[in-house]
Amino acid sequence: MATELFTWYTVSDTLNDFKSGLSLAQESGAESLLVLTCSLNNYPEEELNALFTACPLKLFGGIYPMLTLQGDLIKQGALIIGFKETFDVTLFTQLNHVTTENSLEDFITSTLQEKQNFRGQDNFLMFYDALISNIEGFIDCLFECLDHGIKIAGGGAGNLDFIQRQCVFTNSGIHSDAILLVALPRALHTSVAHGWKTFDEPFLVSEAQGQTVQSLNYQPAYEVYCQTIENATEYTFKDTDFFEIAKHFPLGIKDINNNIIVRDPILAKNNQLQCFGNIPINSMVYLLEGKIDTLVASTEKAAATLFSNLTKTTIPTTMIFDCISRALFMEDEFEKELNVIAEQCRSGTLFGVLSLGEIANSQSGAIRLLNKSIVISSW
Amino acid sequence: MNKALFLISLQHELAMAIGNKLDLKAMLKVFLKVCFNRLDLTSAHIYVYCDQSGMPSKSLPLKGTSYKHFLSIPKNKRGQSWSKSTILTNFARQLNSRQKNISFRCDNGQYLSGFIIPEYGLLTFETHYELAEEVQKALQPILQKLATSCYTSIVHASLVKEVHSRQLIEEKVAFQAQHDGLTGLFNRQHINLLLGNALEDARTYEKTGSVVFVDLNRFKPINDAMGHTVGDKILLTLAHRLQALSNENIDIGRFGGDQFIILLKNLKGDYQTTIDQLIAQINQLLVAPFIIDTNSYKLTCSIGYAFFPLQSSTVTNLIKFADIAMYEAKRAKTQQGKQYQRAMSDKIKKRLAYIDDMKQGLEQGDFKLYYQAQYNHYGDIIGAEALLRWQHPIHGKESPALYIPIAEESDLILSIGQWVLEQACRDIKKLEQLSLPKSFNKIAINISAKQLIQHDFQVSVLEAITQNDIPANRLALELTENLLVENIEDSIKLIASLKENEIDCAIDDFGTGYSSLTYLKRIPASVLKIDRSFVTNIAQSSESAAIASMIISLGKTLNMDILAEGVETQEELNCLKELGCFHYQGFYFSGPLPFEQFSQLFK
Repeated sequence: MATELFTWYTVSDTLNDFKSGLSLAQESGAESLLVLTCSLNNYPEEELNALFTACPLKLFGGIYPMLTLQGDLIKQGALIIGFKETFDVTLFTQLNHVTTENSLEDFITSTLQEKQNFRGQDNFLMFYDALISNIEGFIDCLFECLDHGIKIAGGGAGNLDFIQRQCVFTNSGIHSDAILLVALPRALHTSVAHGWKTFDEPFLVSEAQGQTVQSLNYQPAYEVYCQTIENATEYTFKDTDFFEIAKHFPLGIKDINNNIIVRDPILAKNNQLQCFGNIPINSMVYLLEGKIDTLVASTEKAAATLFSNLTKTTIPTTMIFDCISRALFMEDEFEKELNVIAEQCRSGTLFGVLSLGEIANSQSGAIRLLNKSIVISSW
Repeated sequence: MNKALFLISLQHELAMAIGNKLDLKAMLKVFLKVCFNRLDLTSAHIYVYCDQSGMPSKSLPLKGTSYKHFLSIPKNKRGQSWSKSTILTNFARQLNSRQKNISFRCDNGQYLSGFIIPEYGLLTFETHYELAEEVQKALQPILQKLATSCYTSIVHASLVKEVHSRQLIEEKVAFQAQHDGLTGLFNRQHINLLLGNALEDARTYEKTGSVVFVDLNRFKPINDAMGHTVGDKILLTLAHRLQALSNENIDIGRFGGDQFIILLKNLKGDYQTTIDQLIAQINQLLVAPFIIDTNSYKLTCSIGYAFFPLQSSTVTNLIKFADIAMYEAKRAKTQQGKQYQRAMSDKIKKRLAYIDDMKQGLEQGDFKLYYQAQYNHYGDIIGAEALLRWQHPIHGKESPALYIPIAEESDLILSIGQWVLEQACRDIKKLEQLSLPKSFNKIAINISAKQLIQHDFQVSVLEAITQNDIPANRLALELTENLLVENIEDSIKLIASLKENEIDCAIDDFGTGYSSLTYLKRIPASVLKIDRSFVTNIAQSSESAAIASMIISLGKTLNMDILAEGVETQEELNCLKELGCFHYQGFYFSGPLPFEQFSQLFK
């Protein structure tokens, strides 16, 4: 039995096409709509707001750099998935105003109380504004405050230009600085992969503040990073855009079980490295490298593991949260990654987003923010 | 190599995570969070040793010291506190009893690893993998550091608590220094300070303000009759009501007793209107009766006020002026309030000068006792009332109706009363030396309210009798009905005690007060004196006759003698006789006479 009953997409960037898709979705008999649009579209915000507020069905989703459907990449346009069930949606807004750990805890606790602590709801999708400054604080606190283990998959919405805009959809409109938790009616199964490998000895993070690494081994972080890469490879940073090289060499934090949490260095400023996720001070970080084939192989393995574990009685819905930087790294060969998933996913709808940061449970159960990774989720 | 590096970096990272916060829970939480991420934990828990009050202990735990669940990440499990998890609780118990690191594989495949935080508590990690031995060993020095940090946090918390308690005490002391203990309003000292500041502001910024004095009318009888508890509740209720008037420009304080003071600042424009409105508001606050312990009390107040800096620019004077104005309002029995006027001070000055005159008069022997004889229906002298007369050096003969109330307002009445007592005793001694008729009984002197409440009153009476060597039964005391009622319980005791010493009491001016017959029955007085107002023209006034008749019946019922005052005509005498009154005093028989003339009556 399929869990969704309606799938519609367009590669057109005009609102009129989207409107017609939304009308069709509303007439499809679905109770809830997952709406995903590309950041390159030309959708006026006000009109989009009006469409969403007028929608009689439960609506959620967001704006992502790109979308995927089966093995195809959608660079502009939209995707609407209609579900038979009414999904429970919880919106957390104005996260940037919640600056201290205590106020964040109060904020989350009060919402959890309103929602009866999500009793009976263990499976969630998470759509969020990727430019929320303390997303890791939020997921840590959510894990700490929830009195039961949850299974979660999610990805950061927004633009590649890293300017904060409205990017999360609900029936009350489009939101920025917001996190959306969507409770799923069935068990969620996830599989995570990145395929990056260490290529040098680890460095001690001697100074760091949140997402900024100030020094590695007591030397300016940027200098250490550049020198290590230049010594080991042909790349030279002098005449090249930083990200063009950095996209090949993320940082990695290794946990006790040798699992690597990837951190994407996205900016070099004042001899410091700005990553897309926290790097704890006093931790050890590795320089990572990757090849398209190993990345794809890792994804293929993750997909195989996931789909082999699914029950045969339900035709699952599968959504992937694939990091946009993997697409930028693989460039034209990116669809290989989508294809290996599509090959494993033999039934049900397969779709996804290219996200700015991914969310998944670690093996221990804790919720983690990932970079340069792929989260394949089925329910 | 990398494994070693990992362990070193793990130690380093965990060590650096310790002691970042001073609060024990916050400090341990930071540590647990780092453990969580670095060791890929499923849950983490800390138990701490507690002292007898259940607080984290800062000294070495004694054998059998209890430990309690202190912190977990995540906070709860499926709606239940981790402290109720049997597996975890049993594991903690085992860990505590063994006092060394232990591990355990649960049925669900998860692992529990337990560590001792030396002297402070227990640490437990839940993992989905088995924590390697070298990792466990690597944690040992970290736990020692954690213990030190626990000590610091606990000591810090106790210091913070101590500082906080001290702050609270200091705040309480500061509050008490500024506020009245009963009502919580500002006290006199603080009102003085606020007034000083307000005066300074008024001078600097050319503003006007006012001091308003509020005094409850007839509060003392309630306080005396119903007790201080009731009085205090009334004052507290009133304070709450008055507090409703306060705002940034109005401060309310209790000056003492039943006196309240209101300080108004920054009065604008027509400030007389503002004051009038305030007075109306205060009176309005008193409209609702005070319900205390199911009894209802209706009270009014007298209000006086003075403006600053117009009328004075010193704190002492302003309060004095408002007080004077309040007393004027009380004398005038007005609830409209009175503004202080210079004439009020002049009046007080004159009054003070008059009191000085009285003092001098007393010293110089200008006061004399006159005696008005009392007769029975046979025309025999049965006694006399001693009456005070004062020959003022300038004004001549002063009326007792003028100087007695003034003397009563000051303490001079005590000196005068004592002189009267002693002089009467001396005169009785002289009379004793005459051949007095058998019908003659005693000389009565009038007693004031202030005399009566002196704790040594009875002693001074007995002393005067002893010193003059006269029979106690020759002296009688006259107390007014109102005076008795104001302090009924003490009065009853005093009169009974005097009676035991053969000193009789008479109730003067009977009929003018509204004393309860229940009280009257309990007062062991010997004589009821019918007030002159019911005697004058008694033959023509059926009402007076009816009242006199009632008093006569009452006296007989209570076994008291009845004496009519102010008998001036034969007609009145006849009427009284007919009604059954056989003792008289008045001009019909004799006016008040100087002692020498009075004593002639016996010759």
